[in-house]
Amino acid sequence: MDILLVEDNPNDAELTLRALKQRNLASQLHLCRDGAEALEFFAANVGPLPKVVLLDLKLPKVNGLEVLRMIKADDRTKTIPVVVLTSSREEPDIEKAYALGANSYIVKPVDFDAFARAVSDLGLYWLLLNHPPQ
Amino acid sequence: MWPMKWSIERWPANWSIEHKLPVFVSILLLAVVIVLLSIGYGEVRRASRVVAGERLGRATHELADLFQRSGTQQRTQMTTLASDSAVVSFLSWGGRRGRDEALAAMRRIVNDTSSSAAIELWDPNGHLLLRTGRLNIDDRPPSLPTSDSALVGPLVQHDTILYYAVAAAARRGEQPLGTVRQVRRLSLNARARSTMTGLAGGDVSLLLGNADGDPWTDLATIIPAPPAMVRTRTSTAGSVSYQRGKEWKRGSAAPIPGTPWMIIAELPRAVVRAPANAYVRRMTPIAAVILVIGALGAWWGSRRLTTPLRQITSAAEGIAGGDLQPRVSVHGEDELGRLARSFNTMAERVADAQHRLEEKVAERTAELESFSYSVSHDLRAPLRAIHGFARILQEDHRAELGAEAQRLLGIIDQNTLRMGQLIDDLLAFSRLGRQEVSKKHVDMGELARGIVDDVRRTEGDRPLEIAVDALPPASGDRALLRQALGNLVQNAAKFTRGRTPARIEIGTQPDGGRTVYFVKDNGAGFDERYAGKLFGVFQRLHRAEEFEGTGVGLAIVQRIVERHGGRVWAEGKVNEGATFYFTLPRSEG
Repeated sequence: MDILLVEDNPNDAELTLRALKQRNLASQLHLCRDGAEALEFFAANVGPLPKVVLLDLKLPKVNGLEVLRMIKADDRTKTIPVVVLTSSREEPDIEKAYALGANSYIVKPVDFDAFARAVSDLGLYWLLLNHPPQ
Repeated sequence: MWPMKWSIERWPANWSIEHKLPVFVSILLLAVVIVLLSIGYGEVRRASRVVAGERLGRATHELADLFQRSGTQQRTQMTTLASDSAVVSFLSWGGRRGRDEALAAMRRIVNDTSSSAAIELWDPNGHLLLRTGRLNIDDRPPSLPTSDSALVGPLVQHDTILYYAVAAAARRGEQPLGTVRQVRRLSLNARARSTMTGLAGGDVSLLLGNADGDPWTDLATIIPAPPAMVRTRTSTAGSVSYQRGKEWKRGSAAPIPGTPWMIIAELPRAVVRAPANAYVRRMTPIAAVILVIGALGAWWGSRRLTTPLRQITSAAEGIAGGDLQPRVSVHGEDELGRLARSFNTMAERVADAQHRLEEKVAERTAELESFSYSVSHDLRAPLRAIHGFARILQEDHRAELGAEAQRLLGIIDQNTLRMGQLIDDLLAFSRLGRQEVSKKHVDMGELARGIVDDVRRTEGDRPLEIAVDALPPASGDRALLRQALGNLVQNAAKFTRGRTPARIEIGTQPDGGRTVYFVKDNGAGFDERYAGKLFGVFQRLHRAEEFEGTGVGLAIVQRIVERHGGRVWAEGKVNEGATFYFTLPRSEG
C-alpha cells in the first residue's frame, strides 16, 4: 500500500484518483472518508505503512489537524510523510499544519488542470523520488 | 470673525484659571480698597472742614463779642467824659479855670487807663483845644458821632504800635460844643493773648485789623492784611481757604460790631487736613493687609478649585489619548466632587463600553474568520468539482459531444475559473481588514523597480516605457505596500495594452507636509463621472471582453492606503489615460 487518501468529498476523491491514475500511481491507494476512519485505519493496520498520507483538513468527526497530530504523536507512524491537501489557504491553517509536523502543504486549485498536475507531481515525488527510512 | 479670535488670543486666554482668578480678585479688591479709601478720605476731610469751620466761626464770634464789649466800655467812658460838667462848661465858656478843671477830668481817665495814649478836646470847627497825653497820631479833626454814643475809629499804625481813637460828642441840649477824643494803644498783654487763644483753642491764630484793609495784627506783630476774599465773607457761616504769605490757611471772619474792625480766626490748612491724612495713613496698612489676605485667599481658593480641575483635565486627556485607566481622586459634596464622581462614572462606562466593544469585535472577527474559512474551503470544493468533471467530459467524451456541447463546456470551464479567482480576491481583500499593519521604513524606489521588473516579465515582449522617478521612502508594511503599488502598476500595464508607445510613470509630487505618490499611464482612462466607483469592491468601468479583472484590485489598494493612514484618489479621461494618487506617512528614518 502506497498512498492513504483522507478525503470526505467524493468528487475531490474521484478527481484525485483520476489524476493519480493518469500516472499509474493509484494502484495502491486506500481512501478514508473522515478523520475517525483514518485513525481506525492506523489502529487496525498491521501490515506495511503507507508511503505518503494525503490529508484534507476539513473532515467530519475528527478534523485533519487532529489526525495529523495523532500520526506524528505515534512512534510507529511519525515518519510517514503527511501532505496536507486542502482548499484552505488560510495562514493559521498553514502554520498549525507545519507546527504539527506536516511535510508539505498543498492548496487544491480550482483549475482542474492545475489540480491534476499538483496531485500527480506530489505522487511522483513522494512515491518515486523520496527515500523514506526503512 | 477675526477680531474675536484676535481678542481671544490675547493674554488672558493663555492664562490658566489658577492665575486669572487671583489676579482678577486682587484687581477687584484693589479697586474696592482705593474707592473706599478715597471716599473715606473725602468724608473725613469734609467733616474736619465742617468742624474747623464751626470752631473758627465760634471763635470769631466770641472774640468779636469780647472786643465789642470792651469797645462799648471805652465808648461809654468817652460819652461820660463828654458830658462831664467841667468839660461841658469849658467848651461852653472857656476860661482858665474851666480849662484846668477839664484837663483834670481828662487826666483822670488817662491815668486810669494803661492803654490810653492821649485825650483831646476839639471844638466844632475842627480846632484842637486841649490835649493831655504823650502822643499825637492824627491831627485831623475827628468826625462827629451822629448820635450820643461814641465812635471807635479805624486802627492806625505808628512805628510798631497800633493806635485807634474813640471819640464822643459833647453837647448842651441840641447844640454841639465839640468833641472828646481818646487815642488808645491797641495793647494786648500776654495774658489777654493767651486768654483769647485759649478761647479759640490751640493751633488757631487770631488776626485783628480794619475790615477795609491795613493795618492788621496777629495780636503780637503787625502783618499785612489778609486777602479780601476772607474779609468779605463775613456774613456767610463756615470758613474759606486762602493763601496768606506763603502758607495756605482756612479761616473765618467776623466784624466787630460798633467798630470798623474785623477779627479772623484761622488754622493752617495742613492742620485741617491732618485728620484726613491721618485716616489715610492709618487705613493704608489695613487696606494693604486686606489686599494681601484677599489675594492669598483668592490664590488658595483658585488652587483648591483648579487642582481637582487639573486632575480631571489630565485624566480626561489621558482618556482622550486612549488610556482608559485614569480616575480622579476628588472628594466632597460640592460641584467639583460631583464633577469628579460623574467623571469617574463616565470613565468607568467608557472603559466598560470599550471593553465590550473589543469583545464584540473579537467575536465578530472570529465569526468572520470562520466565515471566510468556510468560503475559502466550501465554495472552492464544488467549483473544483464542476471544473474537474467538465474537463473530464471534454477529455474523455470528446467524440460523443457535438461542437456546440463542447463550446458550452468551455463556457462552464471559463466561468468556474473566474469564480475561483473572485473568491480568492475577495478573501485576500477581507484578510486585509484584519491583518496587522507593521510600520517600517520602506524604500519606495526599490519597491517600485521590483514591481516594474515583474510587470515587464508578465507583459512579455510588449514595448512598455516605464519611468520610475526618485521616490522618497515611506513608513509602512512592505508586503502590503508592494501589493498596493503592484496593483496600480499592473492596472496601468493592463489598460495601456494596444497603445504604442505605452507609457507609465511612477513619481511623486509635493503637497504640503505629505508626499503624494502617483502612477500615471496613457491608457484607456476612465470617465470622471464614475471616479467614485473606481475603488468599490467588484466595481468595474470596463467590460470583461475589453479588460479582464474581478474589480477587487483598486479596492485592495484603497484599503491598504487607508490602513496606513493615507488617502487615494484618481484622475482620468477616456482614452487619454489615468493617474492614481496616494499619500503615505513619511518615514522618519
